[in-house]
Amino acid sequence: MQVSSNQFVEQASEALQQPHAVQTRDILGAFLPPVRDNAAAQFGDFQALRDHVEAVRKHALENLDHYLAQYEEQARDNGNAVHFARSGDELNNIVLDIVRRHDARQIAKGKSMITEETGLNAVLESAGLTVTETDLGEYIIQQAGEKPSHIVGPALHKSPDEIRELFLEKHNFGPRELEDAPAMVEEARRVLREHFLAADIGIIGANALIAENGYSMLVTNEGNGDLCANLPPVLIVCTSVDRILPRAQDAMAMLRLLVRSTTGQPVTCYTSFYSGPRRQDDPDGPVETHVILLDNGRSDILASDYSDMLQCIRCGACLNHCPVYISAGGHAYGSVYPGPMGSVLTPLLSSLEDANALPNACTSCGRCAEVCPANIPLPDLLRDLRHEEVTRGLSPGRWRFGLKTHAWLARHPGLYRWLTGLAVSLMHRLGRKRGGLAKLPMASGWTSQRDFPTPEAGTFMQQYRQMQDAADD
Amino acid sequence: MTPNLEADSPQSPRYRVALFATCLADLFRPSVAFASIQLLEEAGCEVIVPEAQTCCGQPAYNTGDYEATIPLARSVVAMLEPFEYVVIPSGSCAGMIGTHYPRLLEGQWRQRAQDLAAKTYELTAFLDEVAGLKRDEPSNSGETVTYHDSCAGLRELNIRQQPRDLLQRLCDITVSEMDQTEVCCGFGGTFCAKMPDISAKMADDKLANASQTGAAVLAGGDLGCLLNLAGRARREGADIEIRHIAEILAGETTPALGKPQD
Amino acid sequence: MTDARTDVIARVRHGSRGQSAETVATELARIARGPAAKMPSDDPCVAFLAAIVGNQGTIAVARNRTETVKAVADYLYQRYRSHKLVAGSDPRLAALPWRDAGLLPRFGGAENGEPAALSYAQLGIAETGSIITLTGKSNPAANNLLVEDHIVIVHTNDLVVTLDEAWDRINGMIADKRPRGINMISGPSSTADIAMQLVMGAHGPRRWHVVLAGEVPADALAQARQLNGLD
Repeated sequence: MQVSSNQFVEQASEALQQPHAVQTRDILGAFLPPVRDNAAAQFGDFQALRDHVEAVRKHALENLDHYLAQYEEQARDNGNAVHFARSGDELNNIVLDIVRRHDARQIAKGKSMITEETGLNAVLESAGLTVTETDLGEYIIQQAGEKPSHIVGPALHKSPDEIRELFLEKHNFGPRELEDAPAMVEEARRVLREHFLAADIGIIGANALIAENGYSMLVTNEGNGDLCANLPPVLIVCTSVDRILPRAQDAMAMLRLLVRSTTGQPVTCYTSFYSGPRRQDDPDGPVETHVILLDNGRSDILASDYSDMLQCIRCGACLNHCPVYISAGGHAYGSVYPGPMGSVLTPLLSSLEDANALPNACTSCGRCAEVCPANIPLPDLLRDLRHEEVTRGLSPGRWRFGLKTHAWLARHPGLYRWLTGLAVSLMHRLGRKRGGLAKLPMASGWTSQRDFPTPEAGTFMQQYRQMQDAADD
Repeated sequence: MTPNLEADSPQSPRYRVALFATCLADLFRPSVAFASIQLLEEAGCEVIVPEAQTCCGQPAYNTGDYEATIPLARSVVAMLEPFEYVVIPSGSCAGMIGTHYPRLLEGQWRQRAQDLAAKTYELTAFLDEVAGLKRDEPSNSGETVTYHDSCAGLRELNIRQQPRDLLQRLCDITVSEMDQTEVCCGFGGTFCAKMPDISAKMADDKLANASQTGAAVLAGGDLGCLLNLAGRARREGADIEIRHIAEILAGETTPALGKPQD
Repeated sequence: MTDARTDVIARVRHGSRGQSAETVATELARIARGPAAKMPSDDPCVAFLAAIVGNQGTIAVARNRTETVKAVADYLYQRYRSHKLVAGSDPRLAALPWRDAGLLPRFGGAENGEPAALSYAQLGIAETGSIITLTGKSNPAANNLLVEDHIVIVHTNDLVVTLDEAWDRINGMIADKRPRGINMISGPSSTADIAMQLVMGAHGPRRWHVVLAGEVPADALAQARQLNGLD
């Protein structure tokens, strides 16, 4: 997976200098959390649902060998060609292979984070194919040549004006107003309808794979996934091994959590289950269907201390509630997976070397864990990744040394008191008339954006000791 | 304000409490520690300040240096475990000892950490829920106050209602609630120095929400948050006074954080 | 070099507990059913209708077969001043007394952009305000997806309360033969991808109309609307 995550700090600073984008993100951060809270409250005992799904997922992941075998058997019996891909490149090549065998020219795609992860579109386009994203948000960023900024709403960083300009430029419909969102959606409907009808191949993802009957589940509000799954003659489902659930009812439990956490709805408009190719007396549907099961590091995660991360259902709630994500924006993360979940997943799917900035993009505020429907202990996983950075020498030496020294000093109270007493006394003398210090040696990280409130003349422990001594006399 | 070290207690104290002042209060805001002692004594406690205290180890821990933190955590456990109660004027430090030490330490230390966790309290939680501190005459400074819920205290220790109840009961102050009280202020320990631009935005948002209430004072229970906000407020010229809740409850008159001291 | 399948399976096995099928089944059976959503009414009809309205669908009620066809005709006529309608080749639809409404659907698959299509639901689900159709001649995909208005008839005999009960029934339906697709539809096509503004008719039908037929309590419609703050 290609990432530019180690430029997070610079990319975030840039993103903070665009007032309009900042305002858009602030609105997301203010609007989406109450929507989720409301949906959770309307459900009833939402915590019981979270705990139930967590139990199911843990069982499914601990026994993934069993369920993978079961799913594969059922899916093959249903008439699918089932493929395995160790890496993103392998998945891309499998798709390319199928595409070439069918001499395909046009591809209609439903939203698939897996194909974002593997960079499939670029590979297909290099091979001369026309790939059209049909999820409206994905279509918008595809036209704009941008990457997604959010795992659920990839174009939420764009204003209606920007989208209007984009459509006026890219669609040849002559002079027109496109005055509001309905008008733009109407235009997208017109444009994309043609692509659905003309596509040689449909590519979709899966929100869940059901082991007991080999069906894959796909949820959308737009219905674009269903159009991709029903109209073109060939269907490819790109998914990953961790999506497998034992039974249909487990998929239903997950559905209850997913939609409420994502959009605040009780359910998506279209929740579809596809088993395979056209049956003998079917009037429609693809004649050939493929399922590609991607690993790309997930089996490693499964065997590691970070296996809880595989419980993620890609709802995006952690993003919406993370003040760092809201401030910095999704693009700053330099990965298809931003926000808290992305800060855990990106180093695990690419490498900690390439993404060591991300686990540090965190104040440990804990809001993500509060709302994660899958009960993933994100702050703990992020801290454990920071621990790994320390033990692997990936964190900046200056910080590591400074904090180790501080921790050592703290175990030597006499020396600690003496040094801190000196520092505090100096700071007090420098700053007491003004109330604060604008510059401090070795603290430019703090003072670049803040003053430091002037301390008192002595530390508490010094003053308390003096009072005790005075009282004893 | 000096605590009354000389007078005899009229009757034997209800609680023997060790005060863990926190490194931030020790170094940068002693008035918080003194105010805590005053409040605890008002609540009928005998307060001991263990001499060897320095820091709970959060800075190294949160940055992932578990190995550097463990020896310090053990020494803190050994220092505090003889006491009946441990009270700390910080949600993050109380959370460190109360929820993270038992996870970080292993073997016999884990049990000792769990035992210590069971008797460690954040200041407002202790005053409100254990000591049930009341006053015959609420002190009323007439100040309008808004309150920032520090993340660790809120999410690890459920500190939310206690400071508000104490302000009401002891000072006749009803908190003017700001928007997004529960959103992080941008301190996050080393985060604020590693990612200063993001941290500044979060602090600005918090200060803007606070000022929108029209309150004169922004209060909170964690000095990390308050130093961050006071420092940013001073840099940006924001008007609001920033104080630790212990200072307000104890009627501290020390100039607010970031204001000139002479 | 081993092939991808062997590799992935081996790696997954390495990260799994390697338990026997019996043990896995026993463990799974021990996990009880999870909670369903709280419903705004104890009456499944009211809850069903209320959820549909909440999902931006429209509703009608019919207490006999004549009322059913009239409800469909009324909707069509109000919307289009015409009776042009395509319906899946579902015997239950063919058997309705269309003459009573002065309308006869064309049976088959919808053309692109055709105004309206009619489906007969296998199930209605009160918990979420959803209907279930199975792919096949009875439900050509075009009828669910390419039309402007999608009309669905649900019979109260086929109304279940929770998503779990729905799958209990579906499992029975698909035991002998698995349909290519099982579609659970809960509203008209919509999107909020442009600045979070909710717009209907993204790619699929702009409007969704559900006729609940059978033993429906007299005030179910009114209650459903009230629960959504209408009227």
